Amino acid sequence: MSTASPVRTTAVSAEGLWKAYGMGEAQVVALRDVSVEFASGAFTAIMGPSGSGKSTLMHCLAGLDTTDRGTVHIGDTAVTGLGDKALTKLRRDKIGFIFQQFNLLPTLTAEENITLPAAIAGAKADPAWINQIIKTLDLADRLSHKPTELSGGQQQRVACARALASRPEVVFADEPTGNLDTRSGAEVLRFLRTSVDDFGQTIVMVTHDPSAAAYADRVVFLADGQIVEDMAEPTADKVIDKMKHFEELVAAAQGEHA
Amino acid sequence: MLRAALKGMAARKARLALTSIAIILGSAFIAAALVLTASIQATVDDLNAEAYAGADALVQPADAESRSEDLVQQGIPAEALAAVESTAGVDHVAATVSWAISAIGDNGKVVGGLAPTTAVNWGDEARERELREGRAPETDGEVAVSAKFAADSGLGLGETVTAYSQTTDQTEYAIVGVYGYAGGRDSISGGTEIAFTTAEAQRLVFDGEDAYSVLAVYAADGTGADDLVAALEPVIGAESQVTSWEDYNAEASAQTAKLTKTIGNFLLGFGLVAVFVSVFLIANTFSIVIAGRLKEIAMMRAIGAGRGQVVRSILAEALLLGTIAAAVGAAVGVAGGAGLTAAIANSFFDAAQVSVAVPPTAILAALAVGIGVTVLAALVPAVRASRVPPVEAMRAAAKTDRPITLLTVSGAIIALAGGGAMALGLTGNLGGDTADLTGTAVGAGLVFVGVTMLTAWLSKPLVGALGLIWSWNFAGKLGRRNAGRNPRRTAVTASALMIGVTLVTATATLLTSVKASIEDYFGEAVKAELFVTGPAVSEVPASFDPAVMDDIRAIDDVDAAVEVYYDIADIDGTDQYVNTTTDFGGIVDLFGGTLAEGDSDELADDEIAVNQSAADELGVGMGDIVTATFSRGTEAHEFTVAAILVDNENTDGWYVAPAYVEEFYTTKPMMALVDVADGADIDAVTAAVDDALADEPEVSAQNHEEFVGEVTVFFDFAIIAIQLLLGLAMIVAVIGVINTLILSVLERTRELGMLRAIGMTRGQTVRMVIVESVTIALFGAVLGVAVGLGLGWALQNALADSGVDVFAVPTTLIAGYLAAAVLVGLLAAIAPAARAAKTNILGAIAYE
Ligand SMILES: Nc1ncnc2c1ncn2[C@@H]1O[C@H](COP(=O)(O)OP(=O)(O)OP(=O)(O)O)[C@@H](O)[C@H]1O
Ligand SMILES: [Mg+2]
Repeated sequence: MSTASPVRTTAVSAEGLWKAYGMGEAQVVALRDVSVEFASGAFTAIMGPSGSGKSTLMHCLAGLDTTDRGTVHIGDTAVTGLGDKALTKLRRDKIGFIFQQFNLLPTLTAEENITLPAAIAGAKADPAWINQIIKTLDLADRLSHKPTELSGGQQQRVACARALASRPEVVFADEPTGNLDTRSGAEVLRFLRTSVDDFGQTIVMVTHDPSAAAYADRVVFLADGQIVEDMAEPTADKVIDKMKHFEELVAAAQGEHA
Repeated sequence: MLRAALKGMAARKARLALTSIAIILGSAFIAAALVLTASIQATVDDLNAEAYAGADALVQPADAESRSEDLVQQGIPAEALAAVESTAGVDHVAATVSWAISAIGDNGKVVGGLAPTTAVNWGDEARERELREGRAPETDGEVAVSAKFAADSGLGLGETVTAYSQTTDQTEYAIVGVYGYAGGRDSISGGTEIAFTTAEAQRLVFDGEDAYSVLAVYAADGTGADDLVAALEPVIGAESQVTSWEDYNAEASAQTAKLTKTIGNFLLGFGLVAVFVSVFLIANTFSIVIAGRLKEIAMMRAIGAGRGQVVRSILAEALLLGTIAAAVGAAVGVAGGAGLTAAIANSFFDAAQVSVAVPPTAILAALAVGIGVTVLAALVPAVRASRVPPVEAMRAAAKTDRPITLLTVSGAIIALAGGGAMALGLTGNLGGDTADLTGTAVGAGLVFVGVTMLTAWLSKPLVGALGLIWSWNFAGKLGRRNAGRNPRRTAVTASALMIGVTLVTATATLLTSVKASIEDYFGEAVKAELFVTGPAVSEVPASFDPAVMDDIRAIDDVDAAVEVYYDIADIDGTDQYVNTTTDFGGIVDLFGGTLAEGDSDELADDEIAVNQSAADELGVGMGDIVTATFSRGTEAHEFTVAAILVDNENTDGWYVAPAYVEEFYTTKPMMALVDVADGADIDAVTAAVDDALADEPEVSAQNHEEFVGEVTVFFDFAIIAIQLLLGLAMIVAVIGVINTLILSVLERTRELGMLRAIGMTRGQTVRMVIVESVTIALFGAVLGVAVGLGLGWALQNALADSGVDVFAVPTTLIAGYLAAAVLVGLLAAIAPAARAAKTNILGAIAYE
């Protein structure tokens, strides 16, 4: 259901990522030797049970968190080892974020929120591109509203627009539909799908919802900090089916490194 | 709920610590003021008790109490001394001559400045003096000086010192001794002293009369103090009075109490300003903390906590915080008061022993005010929190803005009512001067309160406009938006600064206007270009030798020069200000006065001139007879009113012929007016006049500006004192801004995390917080300046009839206040900005 760009390059890649929290007895290993690549122009969903390390993986990939071992690349840039300044610049120029909640600045209008990354960079957003996003997201008549005057779905659509506004290499979304009702959620997911199909955007999305995962080109399953399954062309049924076997998968994974 | 309150407090230690600084400051000032007052009193009482220690009764001039007012030293005649010495029950008498004189140091200046040098007669036994070098003065040309005098004057043993009094010419004395006081002290209360022979001291102080200032009477064994006083009363004569040593000391103590009370009230004023400003701070902190806890409160309410319980839990928190902070404040205040007493005692009183007194009221007042203010300030936010319905609070947790309509409308009504009252008062429509002035003052107060309430409403447009200054970058723009985000919070935070700035701006504006009015008047009316005069504030009035007048008149380009003598005389039973001059017409002309009746011919010895209102006061007119007795005069003289002057501050008073100068308190001129030829170089003439005054250390030539500056020097003190108040208000304001910003930064943690996640740099984050901080501070200052200018203008108008007819804006000071506000903003931003920059992105965006 994909193939917008003929030549597939890698947008994000991770090599042998390890990440542990705490020390000694209380130590929790959140990522165990994770290696994964995300092709540019693809929509990938990351799924897995609570505590399996989905958010941790995403944070490491996005340069929000440091890794204990392993390397991360965004495009040609090696993320691992960058200082705060360089990471900030990387996030600003190459990465877009959509969070589950609290995405917008309450003091700014919808339009100002959309152009926020450009404003922070001291640059001017490409008006034609912004217009196109706004049109696609059906936000044209909401631009001068403050976030408190928008519905949850509209707010999340503004957040989507903002994530795409600077044409980032990759957009990371952590449960973007987690706080939305089914209809609003579907609108957001449809837009993400469109941006991949029509604009060649790369998207990595963490989700718990099988029907949300079905919008993706590929689903990576995490369990106990390891990638346990990599599914192409997912459908809601296939995903639900996989999830039913999670008990076994987890048990198997634990057996492996026990 | 109390346990919940305690736990809540423990979780917010940092915020509460900040809030408590304001309470501590307020309580500390109050405690310090009371401790200082009591301690200085105790210290000075100890010092006073040293005087005439061992004596049983003291004989003083009968009018000793009014002495300090008219500056005239009445003596106890020698006959009284003889009578006392021969009274039964008297062992011996120590006779003191003591009064302020002027002495010139090795730098040609008068020693002592504000506090003059005291002349005493050696061997008076008023205090224990210990010779350190040399010997006692034996002839009238010899003196011994106190160690402090030697240090201050730069003169020592074997050198000569020039000294003179209000009635004597400059005389040189050989210093034959240097002495200290009991306990190895160099001075008593920091004063300088010269000891003369009794005869020479009497020449200086009593114009050569054989008289004394105080007789210390020592009782023979077996005679009690009361019996002694009773025995002395009939023999001392009508011009003297006798008291027991105890009563004398009690009187001295009461006199000191007046002074210490003034100092104490000044400090109490500081404390009250600190307390007043902290009310805003505390209320704001509680409001913000509660806003952040709405969910928690709603949850408590949902699981069954009553409204009362919510209020009580918040008040319990306030009570605990208030108690701890007030206790710390009281302790800090007591320590500070004691330290300050020691510092003051050592630098001003040169006291060997500092007595620290801690009155229980100091601690009680500090505690009561600290606790009361905290609980009171927390009451409004507490009640408001309890009114929020559980469901609403859960839903609206992110949106804590409450409408400000009620506040705005009531603020506007109060401000308008105040403005109306002011307008009526200013136009004299309230019937009667007192009513008009009261109306204006009350109106000004109402305007102030009203504007304080309007700050929230004003903050929207004003903060936006002020913020434009910083909007050249995006971070600045975000900061500006943040400052305008919560009008109530911004307004209360800025109010702390506004109050201080309003206070100083209004005062400075009024005082500057008064100064400008006087200058304006001088420029227009006064013909003399130069004044020969000394400092306006001094205990001994500055005077000079009239012989220098001839030298001044001889200067090229000096058209005329007239010297003036002053005295306070008794005219028809009232104290009146009397001038005399060798050139009555000249003085009226040079001072820009005009005659209503009579002419400006020289006054004959039995003629007197006076201004209209003074004449009216005594009910006299042209040709009427008045009776006048001068300060040193022993008999009354009769004068006929020969001229009446139009009222004019510069020429008001009575004028007599120079024949009576010897009966004036100061027998030398105290001022001269110099008329410089048109087109002449004033600076050159000033220098020439100063040359002529080379041997007159107390006076100098001053132009209009300098003269007005000297006359209005008190205003400068007043402005400085008020600015100290501002300084204090600023400290509290800094704490307030820090507090608000830290709380806001914490509240916006997620937002900051999101901004950092999408690429905002640490530097931009810092800039954003700084702009918010400076904008809030500047908003407060701008409002303060505006309201202060308005009030200053109103006060100036109210006083326009009294001669304050020029409105002058103290631009430099105002620029200074605004700059100070920016500084406050920058200082206050440091901690919150650092905090914001350190925001942990992951922690911030992690889901709840
Ligand atoms: N800051 C932290 N300190 C300690 N342990 C942490 C921290 N963050 C995450 N963990 C642990 O790391 C593991 C992975 O957490 P992560 O948040 O990545 O899970 P997740 O898959 O996103 O879960 P969820 O679906 O509930 O969001 C968990 O066991 C978690 O408890
Ligand atoms: Mg997660």
